[in-house]
Amino acid sequence: MEVKFDYKSPRAAKSRLGRHISGLNEWLLILVAVLLLVAGACLVLVAVPTGWLLMSLAAWPFMAVQWYRGELRDVPAEQSENQVDAVLESSVLARLPKQPSPVDIARAVMQSRHGLFFAVRFGITPNFLEQISSPEQSDATPVWQTAMVLRDKDSDELTAGMLVYALVKQFPEHDALLAHNHLELTDIKNGIDWQNHLAALVRTHSRKLRTGGIGRDWSFGYTPLLTRFGQNISQQLAGGGLLNVDLDSHTEALDQLIDTFSNDGRQNAVLVGTMGVGKTTIVHAFAERLLDASSKLPGNLKFRQVIMLDSASLISAAPGRGELEELIMRIFGEAYAAKNIILCLDDAQLFFEEGVGSVDLGNVLVPIIEAGRLRLILTMDEQRFLQIGQRNAPLVNALNRINIQPASKEDTIRVMQDQLLHTEFRRKVTYTYQSLSEAYRLSERYIHDLAMPGRALKLLESAASYSENGLVTMNSVQNAIEQTMGVKVANASEGDEREKLLNLEALIHERMINQTRAVGVVSDALRRARAGVRNQDRPIGTFLFLGPTGVGKTELAKALADVYFGGEDRIIRLDMNEYVRSEDVSRLIADGADDPASLTAQAMKQPFSVVLLDEIEKAHPSVLTTLLQMLDEGILRDVKNREVSFRDAIVIATSNAGANRIREYIERGYQLEQFEEKFVDELINSNEFRPEFLNRFDEIVVFRPLEKPELLQVVDLMIAGVNKTLALQKITVEVESGAKELLVEKGYDPRLGARPMRRVIQRVVENNVAKAILAGVAQAGSTITISASQVEEAMSKAEQVSAIEKESGYDSSDAAKR
Amino acid sequence: MSMVIVWALSWWYGAGWKSVLLGLKERLALSYDYFSIGLLASTLFAPFRQISAGRVQGPIGIQIRAAVDKLISRIIGAIVRLILIFVGAVWLFVQSLIGVLVLVAWAFLPILPVIGFIVMLSGWVPTWR
Repeated sequence: MEVKFDYKSPRAAKSRLGRHISGLNEWLLILVAVLLLVAGACLVLVAVPTGWLLMSLAAWPFMAVQWYRGELRDVPAEQSENQVDAVLESSVLARLPKQPSPVDIARAVMQSRHGLFFAVRFGITPNFLEQISSPEQSDATPVWQTAMVLRDKDSDELTAGMLVYALVKQFPEHDALLAHNHLELTDIKNGIDWQNHLAALVRTHSRKLRTGGIGRDWSFGYTPLLTRFGQNISQQLAGGGLLNVDLDSHTEALDQLIDTFSNDGRQNAVLVGTMGVGKTTIVHAFAERLLDASSKLPGNLKFRQVIMLDSASLISAAPGRGELEELIMRIFGEAYAAKNIILCLDDAQLFFEEGVGSVDLGNVLVPIIEAGRLRLILTMDEQRFLQIGQRNAPLVNALNRINIQPASKEDTIRVMQDQLLHTEFRRKVTYTYQSLSEAYRLSERYIHDLAMPGRALKLLESAASYSENGLVTMNSVQNAIEQTMGVKVANASEGDEREKLLNLEALIHERMINQTRAVGVVSDALRRARAGVRNQDRPIGTFLFLGPTGVGKTELAKALADVYFGGEDRIIRLDMNEYVRSEDVSRLIADGADDPASLTAQAMKQPFSVVLLDEIEKAHPSVLTTLLQMLDEGILRDVKNREVSFRDAIVIATSNAGANRIREYIERGYQLEQFEEKFVDELINSNEFRPEFLNRFDEIVVFRPLEKPELLQVVDLMIAGVNKTLALQKITVEVESGAKELLVEKGYDPRLGARPMRRVIQRVVENNVAKAILAGVAQAGSTITISASQVEEAMSKAEQVSAIEKESGYDSSDAAKR
Repeated sequence: MSMVIVWALSWWYGAGWKSVLLGLKERLALSYDYFSIGLLASTLFAPFRQISAGRVQGPIGIQIRAAVDKLISRIIGAIVRLILIFVGAVWLFVQSLIGVLVLVAWAFLPILPVIGFIVMLSGWVPTWR
């Protein structure tokens, strides 16, 4: 297609003239007209005939202002297929030189109001656009051609947004450049639609509503009770309409509502859908449509008023037995007699079940609903609707059900684009386009109690508190979710965090001895996650730690939670020996309201954490099957069928299955790497784990038993722990090297690993310190040294006690276990 | 410059004049809606505010009384509605008159300075005695 640009065309000249008049000059013209009028009138008053001329001359500046406002300010586009000056947005056309190059076009676009929209909302700044545009005049033709293709019809305007798209597209490396701003070319196209839609909204809402006038309700009855116990949403809307989009799903529901109420059948409808799906918004949109004199509706629906009953004020006004039923009957009678009322019971379950703030009026309401003469809209959560249906089948049968589905991504973004106008006005902020997509992505992942678009709107609203200089960006949305959910969603960028990630192994080894392979794989997984290179649809990492007791499997999970996730309380720990029956699956995925300790409830509360499944081999196969989806997709559905995300968690399962085999291999002189694979095969062959379960883990790490030199380091760590506890009293404990070796000797058990060591240290070190403090030997600032003889003495006493206990049939190790 | 005058005048007597006419039409439609003229005319004899409306069952005496009450409600309704229709009609008339005057004045505005010049030359000024 050949396109032409004519600088001298009348439309281009008018646009330039309009630009000259705009702003100060417009006011100057008004001032001149007023001055001429006043001066002329004064002269006529003092009998000077020249006054007539002055007064009449005011007509010309007045005409100029009218012409400017009526045509020049925004010169209408003409019909043309290839003439740019005939269709180009006049604010851009006015700024173009005779033979514009792409740089000139970029400059003109960015000086126009619509160009600034892209600067603010998309971060495509004037500098950015000028830098990527060619200064050659000959390069302008492809820009015009690309932009002209975007127009819908011949008469449509060529907008600044279309030129932004064309200019960016002409740049050879536009994909990489846009990626820097988290954008794609299609996003700019979406921006053009958004801009057009906003312009249409402003046009619609600047039009005065025709709502029937002062005599509209004179043929209908008075409604004093409804005024007291309900909200007349039609009246509220008459003051100013909704900023709502015509979503396909909503339009369908609206048409169904209109169809239901304009036919002769039962005059009721129940909107069923998850919370946040937009049921109440549909009722508002319905009320707005009934109120609009220009809408095409059957006569028996036009100007009908929708009144939402307030259950709380009803219950508080009629506390006595039977009073509420009587009040409801009077209200319904009033609504029926008035003849222009459509009653709405929002969250209608409150009227059909006993509970705090709710009351079961089923017996009163069912006959009225079955009769179908009173116009009634109910909104209800799907789950509740099914529950009520089980208890009260006639009620459900008498209702016309309209299902409201959650909005798709495109629809949700459109709803956000409209609704953010309210928020922007109220919170004095501006949202970027990227913040909307990010709000959708993150809310889908982390907000579980609402459906789309409600959940994305909720996050978008809270992101306003994290705006930077009044601009709500992707970062603001990420900050909002990080602060409210305690997760880390942004890529690691701050110096501290980067440093921590790069030195994660060292940090973990400050409280863990050896097991370098296990520490390494976990650290790698975290680094991948925080650098943004991992699969977002899975947990950060899933690991199976195999090895004997007391080698540091659980300790590694704890160390990770402490070092990176912000504390040992960031661990969701499940002892799988409590899930040995198939019925235990329900406990695993229980609702947080019934069982706050269930896996799903804890993950919902704390998605950024370490999930530790201890002794996984003891869990029932059904429990393991349930966990497969969590390991695979990072998702688990709870009993309420809500998706709970584990995509920000590290899942660690531990098992000491085959511990004896590991010891055997080590004793025979094998290194871990030499038998690891064979060992896992043995576990599968011996039916301890199913292959499909093991396959779900990113890594299976075998822990080897600790050796003596490592155990000495464990002693040091434990002594450091004791010193940490004593730091408040300013007392330090030191253990002589001979004593340490003795502690290792006494505390090491090949079956239990380093676990008995803690008990030995408790007996020897902590007991000695306690005695020294109580005897007044140790005071603030002093150091207590534990010698080998003290260890010997403490251990011999312990052995004597143990011998006596054995004789009397009491085993202290059993007590410790208990 | 001459082209600018031609463009200005062609807008003034074309799209400009039309927009004044459309503005008048919109204002009239808003006033028509504000006074609910169409609605009131179509429900002229409906019981006012549904007072005494609805069916009454019972002995003939009660039914006759209910019918009389309903008739009174209808009569009151018709009177009140007629009053508002009349006020609305007067307002619409005034608005139309002003609108027509504006439309006519619009046609003469470009030549107003010429008229002013002629009046100036005639030397006429109002006297206040």
